[in-house]
Amino acid sequence: MDDATRVFPRDPHWRAPDSSRVPFWAYTREDLYREELERFFYKGHWCYIGLEAEVPNPGDFRRSAVGERSVILVRDMDGAINVVENVCSHRGVRFCRERHGNRKDFLCPYHQWNFDLKGNLQGVPFRRGVKQDGKVNGGMPSDFRVEDHGLTKLKVAVRNGVVFASFDHDVEPLEDFLGPVILRYFDRVFDGRGLKVLGYRRQRIPGNWKLMQENIKDPYHPGLLHTWFSTFGLWRADNRSELKMDARHRHAAMISTRGTGGKVAEVVSGVDSFKEHMQLNDPRLLDIVPEPWWGGPTAVMTTVFPSLIIQQQVNSVSMRHIQPNGHGSFDFVWTHFAFDDDDEAMVQRRLIQANLFGPAGFVSADDGEVIEWSQESFEQKPFHRTLLEMGGRDTEDADHMVTETLIRGMYAYWREVMGETA
Amino acid sequence: MSNWIDVAARDAVPADDVIGVEVAGRDIALYDVEGELYATDNLCTHGRARMCDGFLEGHEIECPLHQGRFDVRDGKALCAPLTENLRCYPVRVEGGRVWLAVE
Repeated sequence: MDDATRVFPRDPHWRAPDSSRVPFWAYTREDLYREELERFFYKGHWCYIGLEAEVPNPGDFRRSAVGERSVILVRDMDGAINVVENVCSHRGVRFCRERHGNRKDFLCPYHQWNFDLKGNLQGVPFRRGVKQDGKVNGGMPSDFRVEDHGLTKLKVAVRNGVVFASFDHDVEPLEDFLGPVILRYFDRVFDGRGLKVLGYRRQRIPGNWKLMQENIKDPYHPGLLHTWFSTFGLWRADNRSELKMDARHRHAAMISTRGTGGKVAEVVSGVDSFKEHMQLNDPRLLDIVPEPWWGGPTAVMTTVFPSLIIQQQVNSVSMRHIQPNGHGSFDFVWTHFAFDDDDEAMVQRRLIQANLFGPAGFVSADDGEVIEWSQESFEQKPFHRTLLEMGGRDTEDADHMVTETLIRGMYAYWREVMGETA
Repeated sequence: MSNWIDVAARDAVPADDVIGVEVAGRDIALYDVEGELYATDNLCTHGRARMCDGFLEGHEIECPLHQGRFDVRDGKALCAPLTENLRCYPVRVEGGRVWLAVE
């Protein structure tokens, strides 16, 4: 039977010449998903792990993930940051169950194999056997070397308090991976100031992980989907904006400036609203204070492919960590933070504005839902495709929001790495 | 004020080896190193293992669980994963018996 007429294609290939139409099967195929883990999460890319501020003291650790693989971010007794895989080198147990804590070493509960905080194997129970009635029973073979059986150690890069890691020790330097354009927006938030973690949010979204990257590469939707934004005048399609990508189009910055001069009054007033009569019960949600480090833009959403979104929406800053667990599901972990030099009022302001985000956020709750609804359709008719032609079919940077260029850029890169070229 | 307790016959401690004894509710390891006797707490300061199940080499006892090594003469922790020394006890031999001072 002709593949072109099947709902479930037998031999799916991306035949289109450009990236303006994404086949539904790109979100549903288990084999493709595993290939994505292989090529994006486990090779050639840096994945977000956490913030140095989450492990301030020697012995502090926090569990994180690279793709589906559980890893541990840990500060060792020398003060160095390490990332090791949470898989015992003996029988594969995912031994670390706590989300965070402080310890002198790691111990697998199954056979009590013991590792130092750099991931080196320190001790193996009964390595030399067990003494009984004057003889020694069992033990590891004489050629067993603890040096050969440490935990898998990831390559680590720390930039201004943000920790990235890669299973691929040949990965290019983090700065080259980000490229000069995205690096500028990274350093805009993380300029070396100390960070203070305010709290976490976690949600499991029943959709393909790429949809989350797309969501933050899509300036077309916020003023339309997020009625909270439009009701309270926080997003308009005619905000002064820029969309920028790295040379390979995998990362992006969505930069927007509200009002005309960035003044508070203009930021929160004088904008069209569908429901002008509505008012916030707690006006502190709109207590926005411009900060010098913004350098103009009131919001910059930075997507770092494949695993991270850096959020600056006025005074709310957070890391959003994408942790896939199957082709149709991912965990989304939000780390809200503040800066060490913030005064108490600013910390409070950041916390209150954080109510817009997370699984129940006034704005972000919408994103989780539409991602789920997209995935439902993708599963039903994988032969079909999405349409990404707003603003054209190219993958150029833009100086406005009415375009899907960043998503097209991401799929141009995806096709290149996945070998899905026409 | 030491309280000397008779804990074992001298010949119950084999040459260049270790045994465990219970003294006043405590778990104690007795070592013979080239005819000289030493005593420490039996329980490792790291994992849950007894020194008397470990391997004595010269004056170093290696824990059977994670291969931490202590000097039996002063209880000093010699390597990772150990971070804490073993407690030692004064020992003397009198009349073919081993005596230990606790508190």
